[in-house]
Amino acid sequence: MAIAGGELAVPVRANGPTDRARRIGARSAPWVLLGPTLCVLTLVGFYPLVYSLYTSFTGYRPTQPTKEQGYVGLENFARALTDGQFGAALQLTLIFTAVSVVMSLCLGLALAILFNKRLPGFPFIRSLLMLPMLITPISVGITWRIMMMPDYGVLNYLLRLIGLDPWRWTGSTSTALASVLLVDVWQWTPFMFIILLAGLRALPKSPFEAAAIDGAGPIRTFWLVTVPMLKPVIVIAVLLRMIDAFRTYDTIQIVTRGGPNLATDVVSVYLQRLNFRFFDLGYGSAVSWLVLLAILALVLVFVKLTGFMRDIADKEGR
Amino acid sequence: MRDNQMFRPTIHRSREQRRIFETAAAYFLAFLVICFFLFPVLWMTTSSFKADIDVAAYPPTFVFSPTMENFVELFVDLRAADALINSCVIVGLATCLAMIFGTMAAFALARYDIKGKNFLAFEILSVRMLPPIVSVIPLFIIARKLGLFDTPWLLIAIYTLNGLPFVVWVMRVFIQEIPKSIEEAALIDGCSRYGCFARVTLPLLLPGLAATMVIIFMFAWNEYLFASILTSADAKTLPILAANALKPKAISWGLASAAGVVMSLPVVVLVLLMQRFLVRGLTFGAVKG
Repeated sequence: MAIAGGELAVPVRANGPTDRARRIGARSAPWVLLGPTLCVLTLVGFYPLVYSLYTSFTGYRPTQPTKEQGYVGLENFARALTDGQFGAALQLTLIFTAVSVVMSLCLGLALAILFNKRLPGFPFIRSLLMLPMLITPISVGITWRIMMMPDYGVLNYLLRLIGLDPWRWTGSTSTALASVLLVDVWQWTPFMFIILLAGLRALPKSPFEAAAIDGAGPIRTFWLVTVPMLKPVIVIAVLLRMIDAFRTYDTIQIVTRGGPNLATDVVSVYLQRLNFRFFDLGYGSAVSWLVLLAILALVLVFVKLTGFMRDIADKEGR
Repeated sequence: MRDNQMFRPTIHRSREQRRIFETAAAYFLAFLVICFFLFPVLWMTTSSFKADIDVAAYPPTFVFSPTMENFVELFVDLRAADALINSCVIVGLATCLAMIFGTMAAFALARYDIKGKNFLAFEILSVRMLPPIVSVIPLFIIARKLGLFDTPWLLIAIYTLNGLPFVVWVMRVFIQEIPKSIEEAALIDGCSRYGCFARVTLPLLLPGLAATMVIIFMFAWNEYLFASILTSADAKTLPILAANALKPKAISWGLASAAGVVMSLPVVVLVLLMQRFLVRGLTFGAVKG
């Protein structure tokens, strides 16, 4: 009996209306299956975005009824582009994202290489190391705030114990950004680590054996064998981490609320203040759209530079 | 000749020594790593069992007499049970909906030839890219207009949406890995198409489904931004309760830590039990782990 390649082969029956009805049913089946997902996507995902675009052309301010509420043209966008606070927030977010991604990538890669050794106890430690990314971000923020208290926090106690000067942590504009970065790197390095470790474990053995026979040392092997072979995994991990770092909100909101003196005022904290303290919703929507375009541009540049789409297309074509 | 004999064991010993040294160094590094990554977890847990006077003590107390008063205060005064029930209902329903809808869509994308299949798949994935702060305003306005503010419904819809890209992408990979020939054999044996899905495909998918469920549960359970904007009292979830413990002038750190422990425990237990496909889930099926 011949079984067709593409579609599932169904036992052939005599031609007739039942067969036709069945074929129509088979053709609409995927859309029935996709229906609920597309509905949720449209209603909760895309409709709010369109609504937001509409709002961004208005001066909607529910708490200031005396001001213009209707169509204001491009005024909001013009205001956003000249708004120093928005520019500063965007710049800060880009710095935060870059430092956080690079540090968690380096640290995660180092951890992955260390725990790739098959030593007794390492699988157990690997599981324990996932804890930071599992703990609710709000609790992460609370815990680090307790530990970073300048006067009686345990971190300054430990610094004094090893003979270093205590830090001001989130209390000073010069150390606040480093402090929230520390929290972010602490929380998300485990994410990088488990993905990269899985990537390392899946690599074939023979290139490493060949490198060893050719007399390559560990450093050359790392740069010339491990990194190139691990590239697809690194690209995915970095892409996901980048998207998440760009929208970091929970921990920063809990640890510093964007302060002191806007030193940690990333775009999501800035937008939150704009929308829900000043209720400047028209302007907030315009800024939201600019943020959306910024992350889109960031992802596109990254995808272009790394050839990520080509990898995906190759995979699909296989 | 004598030189040679003396030399050989040294080489042998030095190689052995080097191996021992490397192992010792690996364990030492692992120890440092554990200290850095687990100390805050330890500090959160111990703080939750400390009386307020112990949390604020300097030098910090590493040995103290544990107390349950934070947990009692959490459940009696702050009525954490209500928030816990809200969290369970909202996250539970959203997780179920996302799993059902997402698996259906994944099946369609994996098994049927549809025009624009890849475009659809990327459309679904793009949800993951959207910063939540961007869709907050319209959802807030919609919630006010439709009277959905401080009710669970909109949150359920949002968490369902956020879970969908994971389910669709991960389950698509899992379904593609099941050979079609198994399904075809069932069809030939007289199974109906839906019967074939329920009796043959679904059981093979169960491990993948469970792993995906844990991941989307985790993200919804930990979500704070939407919950903080769309709820105020009746529908508030655990993260809101924990954040509120920080609001008053005199912050009760022990109480906030206790809220953190209660909130984090379910996710930690679930994920540690379901580690098998975790990496694959987190990377949308792109990395096998």
